[in-house]
Amino acid sequence: MELFRVENLSFRYPKAERDALQEINLSVQNGEFIVLCGASGCGKTTLLRLLKKELAPVGEKTGRILYAGAPQEALTNAGEIGFVQQNPESQIVTDKVWHELAFGLENMGLPTETIRRRVGEMASFFGMQGWFRQKTDALSGGQKQLLNLASVMVMQPKLLILDEPTGQLDPIAAADFIATLQKINRELGLTILLAEHRLEEVFPIADRVLVLENGRILLDDEPRKIGLRLSKLHCDHPIMLHALPGAVRIWQGLHIDDTCPLTVREGREFLERHFENRAETLPEPEVPRIGETAVELKNVWFRYEKDAPDVLRGVSAKVYRGEIFCMLGGNGVGKTTALNVLAGLDKPYRGKVLVGGKPIKDYKGGTLYRRGLALLPQNPETVFVKDTVRADLAEILEVMEIPRSEHAAQIEKIAEKLGIVHLLDRHPFDISGGEQQKSALAKVLLSEPKILLLDEPTKGIDAFAKSNLREILRKLKRDGMTIVLVTHDVEFAAETADRCAFVFDGEILSADPPQKFFAENSFYTTAANRMARGLWKNAVTCEQVIEGCRTTGGQL
Amino acid sequence: MKKWISYGILCLLIPTVVLCGMFLFPAKQYAWISLCVALLSCLPVFLRFERKSVSTKRLILIASMTALSVLGRILFTPIPGFKPVTAMVVITALYFGGEVGFLTGSLCALISNFWFGQGPWTPFQMFSWGLLGLLAGLLADPLKRSKILLAVYGAVSGVLYSALMDVWTVLLADGYFNLSRYAATLVSSLPFTAIYAVSNLIFLLLFSKPIGKILERIQTKYGL
Amino acid sequence: MKAFANMHPAVSMLYFLSVLLVCMFIPHPVLQAEALLGGALFCAALQKRGAALRDLGFYLPLFLMVAVVNPLFSHNGVTPLFFLNENPVTLEALLYGVSLAVMVIGVLLWCKAYNEIMTSDKFLYLFGKLIPKLSLVLSMALRFIPTYLRQSRRVSRAQKAMGLYAGKSITDRVKNRMRVLAAMISWSLENAMETSASMKARGYGKKGRTNFSLFRFRASDGVLLAICICLLAVPLIGAAVGITDFMYYPRVGVIQTTPAAIAVYAAFGTLSVLPFILEVKEAIVWNYSVSKI
Repeated sequence: MELFRVENLSFRYPKAERDALQEINLSVQNGEFIVLCGASGCGKTTLLRLLKKELAPVGEKTGRILYAGAPQEALTNAGEIGFVQQNPESQIVTDKVWHELAFGLENMGLPTETIRRRVGEMASFFGMQGWFRQKTDALSGGQKQLLNLASVMVMQPKLLILDEPTGQLDPIAAADFIATLQKINRELGLTILLAEHRLEEVFPIADRVLVLENGRILLDDEPRKIGLRLSKLHCDHPIMLHALPGAVRIWQGLHIDDTCPLTVREGREFLERHFENRAETLPEPEVPRIGETAVELKNVWFRYEKDAPDVLRGVSAKVYRGEIFCMLGGNGVGKTTALNVLAGLDKPYRGKVLVGGKPIKDYKGGTLYRRGLALLPQNPETVFVKDTVRADLAEILEVMEIPRSEHAAQIEKIAEKLGIVHLLDRHPFDISGGEQQKSALAKVLLSEPKILLLDEPTKGIDAFAKSNLREILRKLKRDGMTIVLVTHDVEFAAETADRCAFVFDGEILSADPPQKFFAENSFYTTAANRMARGLWKNAVTCEQVIEGCRTTGGQL
Repeated sequence: MKKWISYGILCLLIPTVVLCGMFLFPAKQYAWISLCVALLSCLPVFLRFERKSVSTKRLILIASMTALSVLGRILFTPIPGFKPVTAMVVITALYFGGEVGFLTGSLCALISNFWFGQGPWTPFQMFSWGLLGLLAGLLADPLKRSKILLAVYGAVSGVLYSALMDVWTVLLADGYFNLSRYAATLVSSLPFTAIYAVSNLIFLLLFSKPIGKILERIQTKYGL
Repeated sequence: MKAFANMHPAVSMLYFLSVLLVCMFIPHPVLQAEALLGGALFCAALQKRGAALRDLGFYLPLFLMVAVVNPLFSHNGVTPLFFLNENPVTLEALLYGVSLAVMVIGVLLWCKAYNEIMTSDKFLYLFGKLIPKLSLVLSMALRFIPTYLRQSRRVSRAQKAMGLYAGKSITDRVKNRMRVLAAMISWSLENAMETSASMKARGYGKKGRTNFSLFRFRASDGVLLAICICLLAVPLIGAAVGITDFMYYPRVGVIQTTPAAIAVYAAFGTLSVLPFILEVKEAIVWNYSVSKI
């Protein structure tokens, strides 16, 4: 049965120069799992919101949207189409978990007994018994997003629309969330329309993939055919290069006539079918020359409160001048705390932190943050306090005691370097997540740091912004900056870092160049490595796997 | 029909409660009446708000501004008396009108006392912060135009707030308006009154422009 | 200690209001002393021993202060004890001061217990039917506040790590807090618009919204409610017929000891120690059931 039918839909925002959506034609069948992908700004959100009439943006709309055969305006029950947005935090309305679950049902005017039953049923389906009576604020990001999903599901929708629901989650919580979606689709037969930029997990479980570009549907096909059709359209399409699952990217890079693999398992089978290894390992680039120590942690112990457990238990690490040092690890192992200790925000109760050979305590009154060290926090919006990006940047120049007359030129220079010239006069909250991050980075860089610390820089930004960030970091490194970053994102670390360190249980366990580092892990490693490790243990990125197949792999 | 019955009950109930209290608590009847007045003066605004249709955005705006005022009270906890709450309520009222101002003020008093402790003082705080918001909403035009007027409003509202709370103290202590005790209470709370007045003045002068800009931007962006 | 906290909100609310009303508005020495005792016992039962002792260190000086200050400027009464700057310090004023102190401390203790028991969700439940829209506003505000607190801490740290107002001086601190608050306003209102989308997406704004809660009115709640009403009725009737009238000026009155008056004292005494008794009973039952395992 056809649930949704979109005919010749075009849409233009007020005062916009071009259409946000052009001539969209789309049919959604009952029970389908559809994934919508595309770079940010391609019109994904606009399309999804137009399908949910309560959230439809204001603007000029032509074409038709039919729901269950009738114009969508005829649908009166808001619960029939569930909608989950990206930010887990801002969607929660009430202060208790049980009340949040009941919120939609209260709106429908159901009696207490019915609500009690439905809420109980949903809470047990989602395994929420343990936190049913908790405050919503006490939940983790993953739990919050699960709660948002459950409080939509409790209204018994026929279609679930999700707009980048895992964008703000760490990889483990994101995988859990996707698995829950799959369960809902398989077990309840619910139709799902999901916009995502992290495709590794969702590609294999989708029935259909829609690729949106500049407000048009570029492709609409089953996942296995997307790779092929995309490379035929143009082989260096940004989605192709950065966003598709590793297996598809490797398959596409090798141009072999075989069905497209989607999962790690299929990718490994594909590689083993076609290649054998003639060399044990891939050649590794020279280990960067060990230079001066830029920052050092010496047996650092830290806890947040006197009676709280230790978060850092004797962490020691050295970061050398001019390298990109990456700290990896799961949730709550102390990565971010270690970074905050490095930044001088948290004071260890034992041990030493040396910045440029000098104890961090000896930097008085903000001198540490002028031409010394800078931190880009996990949430870039916390950096802005003014009403334009330009004013925010100027504020730092003020602190740096740079004469007013030079402000404009300095701002222009950094804006060009990071590609944010067009954003300077916008309000910091009116720009996208990736743009916000670059602007925040610009503000932080104006203090001319020698050491740059970044906390989860890839959170909530799409694949294109990610590769853009990688280029920026490399550029900064070439200019001699030392960069320390903390991340969950193994793919990003593998492609960016000079050395990776594994953090667990308040300690830094090892620090090696990425190829060596990931070769020694078997689980905590990149998808490309998991596919190819039978052939070359130290092939870590998709490019390395492809390169390995081309040079040292004997084709069967 | 149902509505009228409930209003009827309300109209009967309120005087009954007040009169009963006066009869039962002759020694403290003025304290009782003042408590009832403080509570009841919030009621008309609350009920009016309940009855009319309010957009979701406006509803959530009030919730946010209330939460932000409470946040202000919490952020400045270390400095006693030096709080931006009145200033926040007044600025909210200047841009979103007296009703939103009243609700933000009174709800902020109610909610922040979940942190700072509820007590018989809660209704009086609700009443005074609400009233300050309502008045600021009514005087929005002149207050927006003149900084001096705004400063005066801030200082006076600090003094009024303190004086009003002292009235209740005296009524509860003596059961009638004991002028000498009122004078003594006023004198002993003078330092606080001064901090209230000065902090209101400072926060209003420093905040009204930047926050006003933020609120205006939000108003145009989301059509509030 | 959970016995009283698990009662239906309506019952506990009624209970607190009645005790507070009598304590504040009927200035009779016996009733006030009973309220103080009940409040102290209840607070002690709700807290750990150390915290209760620490409280004593706060309330005792306050008690003395309120009691002593009154006779210093109130010179009513006919029994001068001594003269201070040619003004009489009277026995009546001193006793009135003591009664004021008993009342103030009693109210404070009961408010403390109230704050412990009447959490915001109970409050919201009680007023949800009366003022549904505002109670939703309250619920949202309560949900926002901890989030805003966390975000404001993040903003403050981010600003500090850029060397902005990182100093320890008072002006730097005040300035930093004000910047953070201003930044929070933009952030929170932007987020609030997403929240409003999430509300609309779940059908908020239609007529006939209901109010759901997890609270159930059980038989034990009914029993307690009935007991409370009966126990409250006695002192109120007593007040109505003038049993609880008591004068301090010009001369301290006499505490009645008629059977009716005794009944009033007994009823209110029972009412004010009721939660303490419940807590003790619960503790005994619990220990007994544990010992059986």
